[in-house]
Amino acid sequence: MPLYDSASSSAGSCSGSSSSSSSSKPPPPPPLQQDIDGLLAVAGYKIRSSELRQVAQRLERLETAMGNSPADFSQLASDAILYNPSDLAAWVDSLLSEFAQPPTCSSEFIPGPVNNGSTTAESHTPPVQQNITYEQRTLDNQLTVVTATEEDSGIRLVHMLMTCAECVQRGDFSLASSLINDMQGLLARVNTVCGIGKVAGHFIDALSRRIFRGIGGGSVGGGGYAFESEILYHHFYEACPYLKFAHFTANQAILEAFDGHDCVHVVDFNLMHGLQWPALIQALALRPGGPPLLRLTGIGPPSPDGRDSLREIGLRLAELARSVNVRFAFRGVAASRLEDVKPWMLQVNPKEAVAVNSIMQLHRLLGPDPIRNSPIETVLNWIKDLNPKILTVVEQEANHNQPSFLDRFTEALYYYSTMFDSLEACRVQPEKALAEIYIQKEIGNVVSCEGSARVERHEPLAKWRRRLSGAGFRPLALGSNAFKQASMLLTLFSAEGYSVEETEGCLTLGWHSRPLIAASAWQAVAEAGSSAACVG
Amino acid sequence: MARSNEVNLNECKMVVPLNTWVLISNFKLAYNLLRRPDGTFNRHLAEFLDRKVPANANPVDGVFSFDVLIDRGTSLLCRIYRPATAEEPQPNVAELEKPVAAEVVPVIIFFHGGSFAHSSANSAIYDTLCRRLVGLCKAVVVSVNYRRAPENRYPCAYDDGWTALKWVNSRPWLQSQKDSKVHIYLAGDSSGGNIAHHVALRAIDSGIDVLGNILLNPMFGGQERTESEQRLDGKYFVTLRDRDWYWRAYLPEGEDRDHHACNPFGPNGRSLEGINFPKSLVVVAGFDLIQDWQLAYVDGLKKAGQEVKLLYMEQATIGFYLLPNNNHFHTVMDEISKFVGVLVHEAHVPVAFVISVLLSRVRVIERNNEIREAFCFLFETTE
Repeated sequence: MPLYDSASSSAGSCSGSSSSSSSSKPPPPPPLQQDIDGLLAVAGYKIRSSELRQVAQRLERLETAMGNSPADFSQLASDAILYNPSDLAAWVDSLLSEFAQPPTCSSEFIPGPVNNGSTTAESHTPPVQQNITYEQRTLDNQLTVVTATEEDSGIRLVHMLMTCAECVQRGDFSLASSLINDMQGLLARVNTVCGIGKVAGHFIDALSRRIFRGIGGGSVGGGGYAFESEILYHHFYEACPYLKFAHFTANQAILEAFDGHDCVHVVDFNLMHGLQWPALIQALALRPGGPPLLRLTGIGPPSPDGRDSLREIGLRLAELARSVNVRFAFRGVAASRLEDVKPWMLQVNPKEAVAVNSIMQLHRLLGPDPIRNSPIETVLNWIKDLNPKILTVVEQEANHNQPSFLDRFTEALYYYSTMFDSLEACRVQPEKALAEIYIQKEIGNVVSCEGSARVERHEPLAKWRRRLSGAGFRPLALGSNAFKQASMLLTLFSAEGYSVEETEGCLTLGWHSRPLIAASAWQAVAEAGSSAACVG
Repeated sequence: MARSNEVNLNECKMVVPLNTWVLISNFKLAYNLLRRPDGTFNRHLAEFLDRKVPANANPVDGVFSFDVLIDRGTSLLCRIYRPATAEEPQPNVAELEKPVAAEVVPVIIFFHGGSFAHSSANSAIYDTLCRRLVGLCKAVVVSVNYRRAPENRYPCAYDDGWTALKWVNSRPWLQSQKDSKVHIYLAGDSSGGNIAHHVALRAIDSGIDVLGNILLNPMFGGQERTESEQRLDGKYFVTLRDRDWYWRAYLPEGEDRDHHACNPFGPNGRSLEGINFPKSLVVVAGFDLIQDWQLAYVDGLKKAGQEVKLLYMEQATIGFYLLPNNNHFHTVMDEISKFVGVLVHEAHVPVAFVISVLLSRVRVIERNNEIREAFCFLFETTE
């Protein structure tokens, strides 16, 4: 029932072969012949994608011709008989033959930009001839409120991520994988350089690994990844204050615990590049009454290429200690997993004051099976047996070890969004980029691994409190001086948004009131050994 | 002269996909054929050239449409688009006006663009856009086939819009179940945006509630030549000369562009202070030469204390919303669906936290390497 005053082509708009055929049937679907531009077909124009460039050039010629004599044009239009506007190429040609002067020489025409007429968004190479100057909008001329729309796409992404995670939890992998596709499409429209787009990208990757490669395809492992991990760790250390805070706070507590002792022994559960220790060595050197004999036992994964990286680091630290007149001895313990370390390897002397330092290592001991004797209990037991003056524990303040995948996922999304957001403050490259990769690996492990492959089993401070108390440790409060110095550290790091908080003797560092990392100190409840001066 | 043409052609080719360029350039070309210097319009050729599609009561991609004559006196037609429900794959005639099923169904009264002279409700590009809005907003869309200039000058288009508004408001089958009222939004692009504004204005004090206005590149102007008009004249498909032609064709004879239809916040405009005007979503394309007028419109609303959200799409030209092949399109569609209030909450995640993450910003002060060394030794040893 064509009610509109369209004289012709009410239904024939898409077929385009004859000029006027009205029918009351619904329009045929756009012809899917070889490379007809689908979007233009829906708009009623039949043209092959491969012809777009040519037609564009002819439109330009027409335009130029028109520019020369506009009045003639509309007059001629009234008189001429035109056919089949749907067949764009033919129509433009017919107009050209009616109106356009033949070109005087080809140099008058600017070659079109080099693109293949695909229907993707606007990224064109600039035209070849650059002798034309034109006013160009500068990018900082932004009146725009596009961040508002970013937000909205970001919110959409988050909702889709949650839905996808829920599908994964339910086992509906086909829906999950189609959601992955949708999200990747949506990602293309969101800024992935920063903000929710970047975080979402990592989570989408992790989810898709879980869906398509199955759990246990863990990217985090020992062995060959050790070297890479160290580099990433180092850059994470540089790019944001979390590790610095961890080292700083732990060192302060250790320093205080070693007060009055002449033989001290630090056991570091993860030496890495030994970043934590120069500061402690310096501080001990400056201690009134002189430095103690310092022993450092550094635990780390074995080097894959035959190098003894632990020893190399030990040597460097020894050199530093020598330069500040601190008697120093180093021992490296190579172990792929912390639970493989036996206390006898540490060669602790009963007369020394021992500090056990665990920066983000204890959570790795929380095995998949909470009932059986998981490594954490074993290790906590022998730590206790060492009777340390202090056990410094720094952990991610997050609940990434919940039994429900969806809960873990949600928590991780929140946690890492916050962390990425804080990372925006870092302007130094490649530190920032590598720090992001470091975080990305964590995300990958939390989201796409299970069983023993999932080592990033972060638990919140409250849980660690219960666990450590249950294992026979009592908390040592971190004092206001530690707090003050942590705050000063942040001022030096000079990015607004970080916040240090004291909570029941522990310190947390967070971003805008969301704590991300928690530092605490403990002592074994069993009788504290008397601090006797040791010989030699 | 030829030189500056070349410049202009190159510029706009760089900012839109090629098929968009071809589409809009083709429109430009065709429209040039139709506008006569003496102010008359080649209507027959216009209708011949306009690509149209019929209504389709068979759902296509979940949307079906049908045409309704809502005013015999002016032959005013509307095309109604509805979402198809699962159980009625082929609604028969009796079911076309079946009551809307949901708690809240937005009804978007859409006014197509065309600078008051071109296009119709059954133009292919607008049929596509309206169908899209149905899916996007879970809405019923009523596209008004208003009378066009120069044959029908001001206020015909507004009269038709007002007629459509009254008609929509009085359809029982368009009432949302929640409150038995029709939840009406006015939307339009180019001249349609202008019409939406003026219809909303007329609705004030009428007892008809308009919940929101969606203005895509709305057509406004004024006597003054603004900076954007001068800077962008002829650069991105549109010239000042053609804008002037269309206003001369629409406005009453003898009126200039400070007529309130063209310039609602100009010298002859009406103050909207203290008026119960609907909230507005205004989309402005950064390469639209009339953006200064559009921004002044937004400003005018703000100064009158009215709720308005501006979406300034920096690198967009006119017509960017016609083809879904650019970021601006998707951004705007998302915003429209949000504006009409249909973001579906899947309720796992408190959106607040996402907002807080997204909104937190950091001011960075330069790091000083010396300071970085110093902190290593910054220990207070216990006394």
